[in-house]
Amino acid sequence: MFASLTDKFQTIFKKIKNKGKLNENDIKNCLHEIRIALLEADVNYKVVKEFIDSLHDKIQQEKISESLSPTQQIIKIVNGEITLTLGCKQNDLSISPAPPTIIMLVGLQGTGKTTTAVKLANYFRKKGHLPLLIATDIYRPAAIEQLQVLGEKSNLPVFSMGKNESAVNIVKAAIKYSSKKNNDVLIIDTAGRLHIDDKLMNELQEINENIPLQEKLLIVDAMAGQDAVNSAKVFCDKIKVSGIILTKLDGDTRGGVALSLKKVLGVPIKFIGIGEKVDNFEPFHPERMASRILGMGDVLTLIEKVETAYSKDELEKLDKKMKDHNFDLNDFYLQLKKMKNIGSVDQIMDMVPGFNNLKNRIDIAKLGDREGELKKIEAIISSMTVEERENPSIINGNRRKRISRGSGTQLSDINRLLKQFYQIKEMFKKGPKLKSFSFN
Amino acid sequence: MNIKNIFSQFKEGLYKTRKEFSNKLGFLFSNSKDKIDFLEKLEELLILSDLGTSATAEIMNEFQQINFREYKENNFIFFKEKLKVILIDILNSTAPDIKINENRLNIIMLVGVNGSGKTSIAGKIAYRLKNINNDIIMVPADTFRAAAIQQLKILACKVGAEMINTKEGADPASVVYDGISAARARKKNIVIIDTAGRLHTKTNLMNELEKIKRVIQKEANDCSLEILQTIDATMGQNAIAQAEFFNKSLGVTGIALTKMDGTAKGGIVIAIKKELDIPVKLISCGEKLNNLYDFKAEKFVEALLD
Repeated sequence: MFASLTDKFQTIFKKIKNKGKLNENDIKNCLHEIRIALLEADVNYKVVKEFIDSLHDKIQQEKISESLSPTQQIIKIVNGEITLTLGCKQNDLSISPAPPTIIMLVGLQGTGKTTTAVKLANYFRKKGHLPLLIATDIYRPAAIEQLQVLGEKSNLPVFSMGKNESAVNIVKAAIKYSSKKNNDVLIIDTAGRLHIDDKLMNELQEINENIPLQEKLLIVDAMAGQDAVNSAKVFCDKIKVSGIILTKLDGDTRGGVALSLKKVLGVPIKFIGIGEKVDNFEPFHPERMASRILGMGDVLTLIEKVETAYSKDELEKLDKKMKDHNFDLNDFYLQLKKMKNIGSVDQIMDMVPGFNNLKNRIDIAKLGDREGELKKIEAIISSMTVEERENPSIINGNRRKRISRGSGTQLSDINRLLKQFYQIKEMFKKGPKLKSFSFN
Repeated sequence: MNIKNIFSQFKEGLYKTRKEFSNKLGFLFSNSKDKIDFLEKLEELLILSDLGTSATAEIMNEFQQINFREYKENNFIFFKEKLKVILIDILNSTAPDIKINENRLNIIMLVGVNGSGKTSIAGKIAYRLKNINNDIIMVPADTFRAAAIQQLKILACKVGAEMINTKEGADPASVVYDGISAARARKKNIVIIDTAGRLHTKTNLMNELEKIKRVIQKEANDCSLEILQTIDATMGQNAIAQAEFFNKSLGVTGIALTKMDGTAKGGIVIAIKKELDIPVKLISCGEKLNNLYDFKAEKFVEALLD
């Protein structure tokens, strides 16, 4: 639904391609697009306003050099700014020097506290701790049962005392219980509540005053809109929240709320929830969130995946081959095999700005999608002579017939393979190089 | 139910909103220095209410065309009325309210993303319909979320409605099939189906909903079917994509706007109506079973702007 910011920038910069330097009007147009992109991502209106003002100065100061495209440069500046705001390094959870470490999860209704509580307990167990979940949602029908069932499924212990005991008393009893069972991490699942519900906010304050809490984590739905700042602020004022967990990031939300909360509250975002399974839970990466908010595709994730599939040397060699037009069928086959490890070609193209509207992508995307297709390609290429692989242009009609017989494939398969090979070769000639995806 | 009563309750819920976070609207319409100042504040108000950039831009456009000199005298009061008219015009719909057809089986199915309030609103709808002497059967088609069945069971008990039994992990479509059969056998006139929350981007889960709809169409072809999508009032622009996907899969007949008792304005429904023409039918505003109201565009906009 939203055109990517990169595309919009490219449209703006097309007009000024040969100028090298941006004038005030160009900058204004850019900032306008950035502003819309941020608002569409649900970054709070006031935060956007401040952000754009400070960005204006930055862009003016920065020398937009002639050798690089202004698109890349402005995006680099914006991306850098957002990443900086979101927090430069990961913020892990702190562990109390005197166990148990007690963590309380709070938030509005339906943000995913109970699911997150179990994910968090699972996370601690993996790190060698003995977590205990505490059910204190005495209000919502079947909330305690929900935690019990989830705990049971993941084989995690849940402490509960029914609905007739106050939340603070339940926690106190759980602490006693945990000392006998040697649980060193206690996770309190609280009832969802409105920030303007004084009675329930007092309940949280009571726990906060009577229990030594190591972490107070606010659970925020990544799809939240403009009001998220208001509610989060009240939670922070009342119980001094120590971190945020963003949930439901497995959908297509841009998650601008991350930027708003960090900017307004200064509280670090520590984890993200990315699915319904208990291990769909990851540390927060500011740089990935920045490109997501800007709608630029998850370029950084791609880079990471590419990096694990290729060594630096390999990448450079490939880059050089492309540049020198030496990319041959041997390389082609090798790349196909590697790409399969990174993801489907379609997925990869989705992640790369500029590739997502390539003309022949459907044709290319079909490649490597199926195991069978890859086998066929392997058979065809291995039926070629060394010379043919290195220089496919010599493959004439007679050679095609021979390859077809040798590999047990149809002539049309060979024609299609060659067509696809040339398409990819052409694409890499025109498209961005693998190395230049990086913003650093 | 008494309409006047409904509205006073609705406003009472919203009163808290205004007390804590004073609405800038009064200020906007009386204290703007000039056109530019006014438009800037108007934009802020609309964006902060989650109307989104494109709906906001279109509304702003209408104001940009006005000759402001003519209205300087009455301090922009005129513009408040104009804004009301524009918003009501967007929200107004020819789609009927939720009506119970006395000669047919009525099926109300609730769909939406996780945590948007489907189960709670299922209880509220049951409570309201039960109070006007309907025979209801509730169907827990959320067999995925832990204890979702128990949650609906507790609500059904409170309301005094029957619920068909099933267990976690059962096929939702077959639970619905059982529900419809039970409704026929026990001569119930209303079936309320609670489904599992799902993100609109998960194709396999959306297919599951389509399958439920096919079962309904096959087993109760003559029923009057209402497919309500719950939209959480705290949601931002992603709710447009939510509505778009659910509508494409199922043909959503209306939106139930939930969690209106907080400080969020729920303005996203204006953008949804504008982009996709899906009407809002119900508003849920509070945790009690009776905190459910028919959506009235005029009252919603008045409550938003007053």
